[in-house]
Amino acid sequence: MIDGYVIVSAVTLASIYGLLAIGISIIWSSLGMLNMAFGFTFAAAGYGAWYAAQQFPDSAAAVLAGGILTGALVGALVCAVAFIPLHDKPNFTVRALIATLAISLLGTQALLAVFGPRVKALPKVFGPKTFELTEDVVITADKLGSVASSIVLLLLVLAWMKTSRRGLEIRAMMQNPEGAALVGIGVRSTAFAVMAVTGALAGLAAVLLSQTYFVSPYSGLLPLIKGLIVALAGGLGSVSGALIAACLLGFVEAATSAVLGGQYVLITQFALIIAILLVRPRGIGGLLDETRE
Amino acid sequence: MSAPEDTPVGGWRNPQLEHDPARAKVRPVLSAVGRRRWWFKLKGGGDRLWRRVRYPFTRRTVLRIRGEYNPKTLARERTVVDKRPIWWLIGLTLLAVLPPLSGNTSLLSAATIFAIYASINLVWMLIIGTAGIFSLATLAVVGASAYGAAWLSIQHGLPWWGMISTGAGLGLAFGVIVALPAIRLEGFYYALLTLGLVELCRVYVVQSKVFGSATGGLYGADTYVPEALQDSDGAVLLGYAAAFVMLLAMLGLYRLVNGQRLGRLLRTAREDEAFAEAVGIGYDRARVQVFLISSVALGAIGGFYASHFKGVSPSIFSTDQLLLMLAMIVIGGIGTAEGAVVGTLIVVLLDKLLIEWGPMRLVLIGLIMLGTVLFTRGGLFGIKSQFRAWRERRKSERRAARTEKGGEVVPEEATDIHDKQAIYYRRQDKLIRDYLRTLVTDELIEEHRRKPLGQHSEALERVLNYFRRGPVPDKYAVMAIKPFEAYRVVALAGRRGVPPRLVDDRVYPTLEEAYHAVFLRRVNDLLES
Repeated sequence: MIDGYVIVSAVTLASIYGLLAIGISIIWSSLGMLNMAFGFTFAAAGYGAWYAAQQFPDSAAAVLAGGILTGALVGALVCAVAFIPLHDKPNFTVRALIATLAISLLGTQALLAVFGPRVKALPKVFGPKTFELTEDVVITADKLGSVASSIVLLLLVLAWMKTSRRGLEIRAMMQNPEGAALVGIGVRSTAFAVMAVTGALAGLAAVLLSQTYFVSPYSGLLPLIKGLIVALAGGLGSVSGALIAACLLGFVEAATSAVLGGQYVLITQFALIIAILLVRPRGIGGLLDETRE
Repeated sequence: MSAPEDTPVGGWRNPQLEHDPARAKVRPVLSAVGRRRWWFKLKGGGDRLWRRVRYPFTRRTVLRIRGEYNPKTLARERTVVDKRPIWWLIGLTLLAVLPPLSGNTSLLSAATIFAIYASINLVWMLIIGTAGIFSLATLAVVGASAYGAAWLSIQHGLPWWGMISTGAGLGLAFGVIVALPAIRLEGFYYALLTLGLVELCRVYVVQSKVFGSATGGLYGADTYVPEALQDSDGAVLLGYAAAFVMLLAMLGLYRLVNGQRLGRLLRTAREDEAFAEAVGIGYDRARVQVFLISSVALGAIGGFYASHFKGVSPSIFSTDQLLLMLAMIVIGGIGTAEGAVVGTLIVVLLDKLLIEWGPMRLVLIGLIMLGTVLFTRGGLFGIKSQFRAWRERRKSERRAARTEKGGEVVPEEATDIHDKQAIYYRRQDKLIRDYLRTLVTDELIEEHRRKPLGQHSEALERVLNYFRRGPVPDKYAVMAIKPFEAYRVVALAGRRGVPPRLVDDRVYPTLEEAYHAVFLRRVNDLLES
C-alpha cells in the first residue's frame, strides 16, 4: 500500500507543514509568544494572493509575491497589536496567547464580512503540466513546485538567519532573550523582523496549499492546528525537530488517507503526537527547561 | 490693678512675620496624593448578631460585617467588609425574575442560552482559574457527552434524566482521556493539544455517519419538557427555569470546589509548584481531581444540552464557538465566578442584540476581548484592584518626589495616624524649628559661650526654651565625673533603669564649658533637622 504516490504526497505535505511549524517554532522561541493568529495570517495571505491574481491574471510571480507580502504585512500587524503592548507586562505568555486568539477571532470574522463566505480559487501557479516518474507515479507540476519553492524559501530563510546581522540577533533572542537584550539587541525591532519573516513563510504556505484547497475565511484554521501540532511534536523552539516532525506527520497523513481513509487522518496524527509527547513531554527536539538552564 | 505701662499697646502682631516677612506670601503646597478608601458605613451596632448567622451546616457567616466606633463622634457603626454576597443576591434575583416577567419568548430563549453558557464557563473557570490547567477542550467534553447522550436516547430510548446522568459518566470517561496528557505536559503544550482535540472532534463528527453527517447533527432525543407543554410558551419558560437551576447548581459546585479544601490547596502556592510539593501539598493530584470533577459537571451539562435542544449539532465543536466562550471568561476576568457569569452576560447580550450586524458583531466581541487583554490584568472584575494598585503607585511616586518633609506629617500619613493631636503637634513643632533656625547666628553662640547661665537676649532665650522642653529620650545632659574637675556630655535613655549613654570622649574641666558643649550639640541637631 505504501507506494510512490504516498511518498510523493508525504513529501508535499511535509514541506508545507514544515513552513508553518518552523514559523510557529521561531516565534515561540525568540518572542516567547504562541502565535494563534497564524491561521488568520494564513487566510489573509490567501486573500492577498487572490487579489494579486485578480490584478495580474497571467503572472505566477505576482500571485506568489502577493501572498508572501500580505503574510509579512499581517505578521507585522499582529506583532504591533499583540506583542509590542504586552511584552513587558505581567503574565505576558497567557495574555499574548489570548490576544492572538482574539485577533484570530476578529480577523476571521472581518475577512468573512469583507470577502463574503464564498470560497475563492487561486490560479495554478506552476501550470497544468505533469511528470511521470515511473508508470504509476505521476507528479503534477503544482506538487513539484510546492516542494521546490517551499524548500527554496526555507533554505533562504535559514541561510539568512545563519549569515545576516538580523539573523544573528534573532538567533541570540532564541537562545536567551534577557542576554540578547543585555547586549543591546532591540527586542521590538527584532520582534517585527521575526513576525514579518514568519508571516512571509505562512504566506507562501497559503499560496501553495491554495493550489489544492480553496481560499476561505476559515481556511487558516486547519493549517494553524497542523502547524501547531507539528511544532509541538517537534519541540517548540527547535528547527530541526520541527523538520523531523513535519516529515513524520506528513508521512502519517499520506499513509492514513491511502490506507484507512481521509476522516481518520487527524485521529492517527493525534495518536502519534500524544505518543510522542508522553515519551518526550517537550517534543522530539525540545529540551526540558532545567536542562536548558 | 496693673500699671498703665504694662497693658499691651496696639493689636497683636505675629512675631514670626515680623522676623521673616516673606512667610506671609507662602501658601502651603498640598501634594496630590489621594486619600484613604471610602467605605459605606451603616449606623448603629449589631455586628455581633451578624457574626452569629451562619450558612446551614457550615461555619461561614452570611455577611462579613465589622463593627467599630467612629473616631470623631465615637458613635457605633458597621462596615460591610465583603459586599459580594449582596451583589450576587440582587443579580440572581433579577435573573430569576426579569426574563420570565418580560413575557418575550426570544428574550427568554436567549436567557436560557446565557444560563447554559454561564454554567459551562463556571466549570471552565474551575479548570483554568482554580486548577490552573489552560484547557481549551471544555466544549469538546460538553459536545462529546451531548453526542453520546443524544445517540443513546435516539437509538436506545434513554429518558432525559438518564441522558444527564449518562452524560456525566461520559464526561468523566472523556475527562480521564483528556487528563492523561495533562499530567505530563506543561501549560502551553497542553493548550495547543486541546485546541487540536476540539478540531479532531469536529472533523470526526462532521464525517461520521453514526453521528449524523448527512443530517447535520443528531436530532430527536428525549426532552425534559412534558408532552402537554411541547411547542408552547410554557416549554420556553420551563427551559429557562431548568437552565437557571443548573446555573445555580454550577455556582454551588464552583463554591464547593474553589472555596473548600481543593481550591485552598491549589491557591497555597500558585507560582511555585516545587514549594507546594515540598510542604506536602499534592499539587498535581489536586489539579487532576479538580479537572475530573469539572469533567463530570461538563458531561452533565452536555446531557442537559442534548435534552434541552432535543439533539446536538457539530457547531458545538466549532472554533468560533470556542473563541466566543473564551471571550466571555476573558472579558469577565479569569479566576472569579462573577467574571464567568457577567462576561457571559455581556457577550450573549452583544451576540443576540446585534444579530443584524452579521459577522461584524463577532469582530466587535473580538475587539472587546483584545482590549480587555491588552489593558487589564484580570478582566472586568480586575479593574478595581488594578486601579487601586495604580493609585497606590502614583501616591508613592509623589511621596518620593517630595523634596522636603522636615519631621512634619505629610497628608497621606495624616490619614493613617489615629491621634489627630499628634499631627498638629508635629506641624507646630516644624514651624517653631524653622523659625528658631533663622535665629541661630554666630553672635548668639558667642553670647551663650560667654554666659551659659543667667539672663540672655530674647533670641537666645527662645532657642534655650525650645531646647528645655524637648522630649527626654536622647536629650543631652551633663554628667559630673569628678565635681569641679571633669564633666562629660551624655544622652539620656528616656527609659527607667537604662543608664545614659556617652556621646563622645571629650572631658570638660568646668561646668560652663560642658553646658556650652551641650548647647552646641543641640544647635547642631536643630540646624540639621
